[in-house]
Parts: sequence; C-alpha cells; structure tokens
Amino acid sequence: MITIANLVKSYGRNEILKGISFEVQKGQVHSIIGPSGGGKSTFLRCINGLEPFQGGEIRVGNRVLTPATSPRSDARLLEAVRRQVGFVFQQFNLFPHLTVLENVIEAPMQVLKLKRGEATGRAEVLLERVGLEAKRHAYPRDLSGGQQQRVAIARALVMEPDAILFDEPTSALDPVMAGEILSLMEGLARDGQTMIVVTHSMGFARNVASQVHVFADGCDVESGPPSKVFGDPRHPTTKSFLSQIAKD
Amino acid sequence: MRQRLCSSLVGCILAGLILPCTASADALADMRKTGRMLWGGDQEGGGPYVFPVENNPSQVTGFEVDLANRIAEYLKVKAEFTQGQWDKMPDMLRTRKIHAIINGYEFTRERTEIMDATIPYYVYALQLMGRGDNPRIDSWASLRKGAGSARAKIGVLNGSVAEAYARTYCGQRCDVVAYDGNTDTMREVETGKLDATIEDTPIASFYAPRFRALRRIENPVQRGYYVIYVGKGETALLRALNEAIVLMVRNGDIERIYRKYGIWDEQQAELADIAGKGRFYGYFRATDARIERNRMPTEESVKADTRKHGWQVVRDYSGILIQSAGMTVVLSCLSFPLAILVGLMIAVGRLYGRSWLRLPLTGYVEFLRGTPVMLQLYFIFFFLPEIGVKVPAFWTAILGLAINYSAYESEIYRAGLQAIPKGQMEAALSLGMSRVLALRRIVVPQAVRIVIPPVVNDFIALFKDTSVCSVVTIVELTKRFSVLSMSTQATVELMGMTAVLYLMMSYPMSIVSRRIEKRLGLESQA
Repeated sequence: MITIANLVKSYGRNEILKGISFEVQKGQVHSIIGPSGGGKSTFLRCINGLEPFQGGEIRVGNRVLTPATSPRSDARLLEAVRRQVGFVFQQFNLFPHLTVLENVIEAPMQVLKLKRGEATGRAEVLLERVGLEAKRHAYPRDLSGGQQQRVAIARALVMEPDAILFDEPTSALDPVMAGEILSLMEGLARDGQTMIVVTHSMGFARNVASQVHVFADGCDVESGPPSKVFGDPRHPTTKSFLSQIAKD
Repeated sequence: MRQRLCSSLVGCILAGLILPCTASADALADMRKTGRMLWGGDQEGGGPYVFPVENNPSQVTGFEVDLANRIAEYLKVKAEFTQGQWDKMPDMLRTRKIHAIINGYEFTRERTEIMDATIPYYVYALQLMGRGDNPRIDSWASLRKGAGSARAKIGVLNGSVAEAYARTYCGQRCDVVAYDGNTDTMREVETGKLDATIEDTPIASFYAPRFRALRRIENPVQRGYYVIYVGKGETALLRALNEAIVLMVRNGDIERIYRKYGIWDEQQAELADIAGKGRFYGYFRATDARIERNRMPTEESVKADTRKHGWQVVRDYSGILIQSAGMTVVLSCLSFPLAILVGLMIAVGRLYGRSWLRLPLTGYVEFLRGTPVMLQLYFIFFFLPEIGVKVPAFWTAILGLAINYSAYESEIYRAGLQAIPKGQMEAALSLGMSRVLALRRIVVPQAVRIVIPPVVNDFIALFKDTSVCSVVTIVELTKRFSVLSMSTQATVELMGMTAVLYLMMSYPMSIVSRRIEKRLGLESQA
C-alpha cells in the first residue's frame, strides 16, 4: 500500500536519509526505532509530502511522489496523498482557536465537504472511542497533553485514512499519559489500522508492531518482525541501541 | 495675504515629475457650459477674505466671496467656492479642479510664470501694529533702533511678504517670529508676548475692532496687489475677468463690497487708474460702457468687533464641529477596513506567496511606509489627473489613507502570522487542506487574534491622521477647528471641544478592542 524506494533526503550537503526502501501492506503496523538524529521523523514527513526529497520515490496507493514533486504545482497530488495518509505529531498541533469537536470536524467539513451533522456524527463516535466525548466543547488549552494527543488521533482518524503516520506520539507526555496513548494505538492496530509509528517505546514496538525498523545515520540498518529484531539483533548499531535502552 | 517664498518640498518633487502639460482647455467655455465658476480659496485664511459665516459656520462669507459672486454675475454663471489648502491652489488650478484662484494671492513674477494674472482687484500694503500702551514701538524707525534694553519681538505670518519685508528691514535689530495663523500675531501683541506685528492692510483693518488694545503705527508701506490667477493660456477667461473687474471698479461695485468689510482705503484709488488704462489693452467695452454708479453702501456692513467666549462658542460651533467629526469618522471607517484587507493580502503574499511576488510586495510596503501620507494624497489628487486619472477628493482621501495604512497593517499581520507555530500549517496540510484553505481557516484566524491590539492602535492613529486630508480639500475636524479658530480667535474653547470630540471617538474603540481581546485572547492561548 505504501512503497518507498531508495529514498534520499538531504539538507545541503548533509544527507539525512541515504536510500531507504520499504513496503507497508494493508493492516500492518511498522515501528521505526533507533537513536536520535537517525532520520526517523524526516522519513515520516517525506511520506506525506511535508518534506521534499532528492532521490527515490514514494508510492501511496496509485499515487507517486518523486523529487520533482513541487508543493505548489503538484498541490492536488499532495492533498490527495495526505487524505490517504494521516499524521499525528509529537506536539499534537491542535488548532487552539477551535474546540475539541471543531478540531475534529474541521477537515471533514472543509476537505471532504461533509455536512456539519454528518461530520459531527463521525466525530462523536471517535471522541467516544478516545474517551473525550465529555470534553467536546472544551478548548485545547483546557486539556492535558494526553487528552490533546487523543484529540489529535481522533482528528486524524475522522478522515478515514488508509494509513496513519505517528511521529513520536508519546515523547511529549509523562509515562501515565503515554501509556494511555499507546493502549489507544494498540486498539487501532487490533482493528486493522495501517500505521507507521516512530517511537521510543520498545514495548509498543515489541508487542504491537508487525515490522520493526532500526534507523541509524540515515539508513534502515535492520528490519524484520519484532521477535527477530529484539530477540536476535544482527547489526552492531541495533545491538548497542538495544543495550543502551535496556540500561535506562 | 501670504506668499510662500519657496514652494513646498512636495511641490518641488512633483514639479520635477510632471511634464509640462500643453493640452489647453478653454476654462471660460467650460464655465459657460456648466454654468459654474469654480473659484478656489482657503477659509482657514480667515477674515476678511473667505471665512465662515458667524451664525452659520458651514457657509462662507468675505470680500472675496462677494467679489466672486459679482464677477460671476457679469459672466452670467454661478460662482461656486471650492475649499482647498492655500498653498496648493496653483495645483488645483493646474489639474482643473478650479477655474480661478481668488484668495489674497499677490501679483508676483514667479507666479505669473506658471499662471496668468488678471489686473489687481485690491491694493494692499503692510501695516505695522503695536500695543496702544507700549510707547517703545512708535514708528518703523523704532524697530531699527533696537530701542530699549531687549530686542523687540515682531510677529509675522510665516512665508508672507510681511515676513520677508521684516527680515530685510529690521532682521538684524529685532527678533522676527513667524506664525502660522493670520490673526495669531495680533493676539500675541495684545497679550504682550510680541511687541509688534506686520499685517496686510485688509487684515489690520478688518480685525482692528476685535483687538482694541492694538493701534496702527504710521502709514502702510510696501504696496502690493491681489490678483485673480487663472490657468496659463486661458486668454478668453482672463479677458472676461479683466472686463468684469474694470466694470466693477468703474461702477463702484468694488468700493461697495470693500466698504462692507471696512477695507476700503485711499490706496484703492489706484484701482481706478488701472481700470482707466484698460482701453490701451483693448478693453473698450468695459472702459467705454455707460455705467450707473451704485449707491453705497447698500449692504449691511460686516464687522469683526465682538469676540465670542466660553459657552457661547460651545453653543454656536459645537454643531459644525460635530458635523466635521462625522467626516473624520466616515473617512476612517471607510479607509481602515480597506487597509486591513489589503494589508492582510500583502502579508500573506509576502510570507506564503510565490517568490516573484515577494519583491514587489516588499517594495510596496517599504515605499508606502517610507513616504509621508500627505505626499501620497497629493500624488493621487494632483498628479494622477495629469495622466488622465481623475479621482474625486473624497475617494482620494479614502484611497490614500487605505493605501498608506495597508503598508503598516501588512507588517503587523506579518508579525502575527509569523508568531503562529509552523506546526499549525503542517497539521492543516496533513489533513488534506490546501495551503489557501489552511491559511484561511487555521493560520489567519489565529493571527488576527494576536494582532487586535496593534491594529486597533493603528485605527486610532488613522483617526487622527485623517487631518492630513485637508491637502486634498477635505474639511474634517482638525481643518474645521483651524478655520473657526482663525476667524473667531476663540482658540482655547475650540481646541478643547475638538480634543473632546477626538477623545469621544477614539476612547470607545479602545474599550471595544479590550472587550474583543478579552473574549478572543483567552481562547487563543494554547
């Protein structure tokens, strides 16, 4: 469903991604782990066109992003890709001038052109699911970080995307709230939601992901099912990373 | 009345830009066609030239009003007064906003190079005036003596012939102080801040009853001539006006009018000499016509003998001041929304637009912020007609203010937009929104909340900046204040009322903005 081939991304001379390829099938959960600065977030941002890239291609469904894709002249293509692929940010990025409900129904109404009633119906189901039905008229500033991230997930889900990209969704949260978010994501995975999750939570990667990728220095140094990556790491970077994690 | 010895900076700059306009239109034919003679004057100049009617300040009176009306009768048209800034009259003539200038414009060589002058309609001179109880200044010569211990202080009208004369005559021995108002100096002599003033004879005569403490010292000096100026090459109109003046001098119309204002003096005898010579210039019709001398004085004389004070001023003039405040409100309320809209588009264009758009937009902002709004108004009003774009005064004011303020607003919006975290745009894009939609629904609404205080601040500033619109003939609150203060000398009362009116208009806006801030401000903090 999402196929990335030989993706190269650089800032000037600094190569952030040095030719990454992988494929995500429908219903799979891919977890990307690895040391900071390995290019994990940049990789996610390339997939939904927030970052232009210099080499390779990204195929989402039957749409293809290439280095020639321009944010202006190919705006329609990018919008189509983004409707297929949702994004959840580390910093939530809720719209502060809108209530919880308005945050969730904004895109369905403006992008999918749903009627308010229909959008609200969808949103209420999702808010119920993330446990924030009671907060529908609150503003983001009145919510805790964990609650904000749950709204952000509902906001991504309401567009019914084929896949959702999570960029360290729990890194800005304390462990209790992080736990809530991770269990919510686990539920999504069980329901067959396709996801790519950049995370520092080894528990999630080990227990929920169908595939784990270890990114280091712009390369996908090791990938495979969690049992293999965690149980029998081959690459020296993976080994040192996992032992580093274990010490913490 | 006054003579700007060197034309204003504005004039110099624009004169360089403007190519000589050779296309000549026949002003007289235009007047006959429309049935109107548009003549320019500035009521701020005060009595006895053109000034507000005492009991009906929205109308003008003055010896030049009467003169213009009578001349128009001879020309079989209707005279229509056109308010304008005194020193901008030549521009109004050039851009054909008026047919003639009748406003104490002296006959000078410089002016005849750009305009055509009629024969004189008034012979003025410079009158020295001092305080009745001040023996120190008793003659022109006493000014030169530098009598007494301290140097004498002489008040004159800024840029006037009187100023030039005072500086050459006794500039070494006295302090020559320039004032902006015609009668300011007389008041200052009365209160003792000045030792003497030099005024054109019509002003000295007209206002003498109002300043009883003042006395005229010696006979007037430095004779000069007020003439009517018309556009260069308007020979037909010039002829018609000259004929009318000759007739009016001969049949006593002029004397009757001048007596009405108490400004007929022995110097006017020269007018008859000049009129008599008219036949040498081919004005036979006017010089030979059989005339019936008017009986004089047929009209009630106009005198400036009483000075209103206190509540009387408030009662008589608050109506017209409030009316003028209405113009201020209309100007601000029409131009500011336009400025906000244009400013927002510019800011968005500069931050999110295509790269080729950014340079011209930056240029627009820098140019308009870096040049005075007065110059911009002047450009629209007096230069655009040269290239065929005629914008009426009212819309010139709206447009000029809107364009100027759009530059400021765009900078405020730019700051506001930049204060919105990048993640907001990314979140909106990641939901499949287009950039335009993301700006419209997500980024701009947040920026608007941030910029409310500085934008309201600018609105209040614009409110007061509307006063520059007087350069394009608009009479709003400040101009009305100047006009009334010059003709009534009730400056303190009028100033108080004007200030209160401005405050009454701007303070509610501060309150409203604080309310909006309170309501939106709380919601905008993430």
